[in-house]
Amino acid sequence: MLQLEPGNRFLLEYLEKLFNQEKPSSVDQSFVDFDSTKYHLSTQSSKSKNILTLSIEILCWADLVQHGARAVLEREYKDHILPEAETEQEFNVSLKIDLETLPKDLATRTQLLESFSLLKRNALAAPFEKAFEIQKRLEQNPPGPDEVVKKEDLMIVRYRPEEALYLLPSPDRVTAIFSTIFKEETDRIYGKVFLQEFVDARRRPSCQTAPQVLYTNREPPLEIRGVKGIGSLETGENVGYVTFVLFPRHFTPTTLPSTITQIQLFRDYLHYHIKCSKAYMHSRMRTRVASFLKVLNRAKLDAALGEGERERKTASGRSFVRA
Amino acid sequence: MSNTLRPYLACVRSTLTAALTMQDFPSQVAERHNVPEIEAQSTPEVLLTPLLISRNSSEQVLIEPSINSVRISIKIKQADEIERILAHKFTRFLMMRAEAFVILRRVPVKGYDISFLVTNKNVEEMLKHKLVDFVIQFMEEVDKELSEAKLSLNARARIVAESYLSQFP
Repeated sequence: MLQLEPGNRFLLEYLEKLFNQEKPSSVDQSFVDFDSTKYHLSTQSSKSKNILTLSIEILCWADLVQHGARAVLEREYKDHILPEAETEQEFNVSLKIDLETLPKDLATRTQLLESFSLLKRNALAAPFEKAFEIQKRLEQNPPGPDEVVKKEDLMIVRYRPEEALYLLPSPDRVTAIFSTIFKEETDRIYGKVFLQEFVDARRRPSCQTAPQVLYTNREPPLEIRGVKGIGSLETGENVGYVTFVLFPRHFTPTTLPSTITQIQLFRDYLHYHIKCSKAYMHSRMRTRVASFLKVLNRAKLDAALGEGERERKTASGRSFVRA
Repeated sequence: MSNTLRPYLACVRSTLTAALTMQDFPSQVAERHNVPEIEAQSTPEVLLTPLLISRNSSEQVLIEPSINSVRISIKIKQADEIERILAHKFTRFLMMRAEAFVILRRVPVKGYDISFLVTNKNVEEMLKHKLVDFVIQFMEEVDKELSEAKLSLNARARIVAESYLSQFP
């Protein structure tokens, strides 16, 4: 499985099962997603079992709200989203799904299912959309050469405890900078190999149109180093910074949604493949060790056969072991 | 580069064949004990001259013979970080399974990557020339394995990067 799926598969299949069931039943299911995102799907009231509540808790909700996440979600799920006051306890957003008022035809239903499974992706899309809007604004009236980057224009999303995503719009592009932590030495080295390939991939014909990728180890890139008020930037051996340079052709109205989905999954994609490589190396080593053992046993087995030959019988029937 | 490999391995092979001539030697320190003298180092007169065979400064084989045991330590070529990590993991993997390998030492000698300990008992049970074959084959295969693993890692990285970036419009 080369690519990670943007939607939550479990949610999709579970909701599909609930949509197609004969009789509504009570539901209480908690599950998780990448980056410590928690979901909770339940029937709140026991009397009307066909009203499901789907709640999500995202670690960086505070950052996302600052960048207009609520508005984006209201746009996507206008019939289903619950106002802030009715959001489930300990969760950030709740959606209400009424099983009786579902659309009847299969195509719309599938589309609805997919949009629910993309709940996390839609929440995280907010800062990106805002960045693209700011870029368009900057393109219209470009700032003078001496104006320094405004603090409001740089967006920070701390989607994991020690890792963050920085979005920086400029007049002709949008820069997305990921900071990522490699907890182990081997992870760090594998990560370096992978990221070096990302940087070099642009040379290949199939990736000509892809955004430019830059990678720095230890030190944060210059774009975000100078900006005041950004908070503490991680430095050290285990930190890597990956910069994506997105050009306007990546966020035209047609390409915008897929670009956002792709960029969001980057960090998880990278770490997933690092771990897959480690597992592959491990299984390779195991086969190699088995082959060595076979060779060594060849040395032993011949000797054991030699043992068998040493027992001999004389003509009269006496047997002895040859020294 | 590989024109030094054949003489190097031939040299190691002939040295090992000569060094693996051992006899039983009961310990002179403790009664009724029989220890590999190269490990115990208790009687200096039975320890023979150690021999170091180098292909270059990063690939060496140290052979320490004694009257009843021989210690063979190998230093594997590790050019960059990736090779260092792979070699370290591979040797650690092997050494954890030292019991299955019989002649492998659980801990390498200081300054080397992996060590074998062959005693007179091992030589009695196994065919000597096959043992030597095994060590030589091991040295060849480890290098081959490392370079293959590195190549496959790079190929994986390339595929991963390409498949991610080609998704962009």
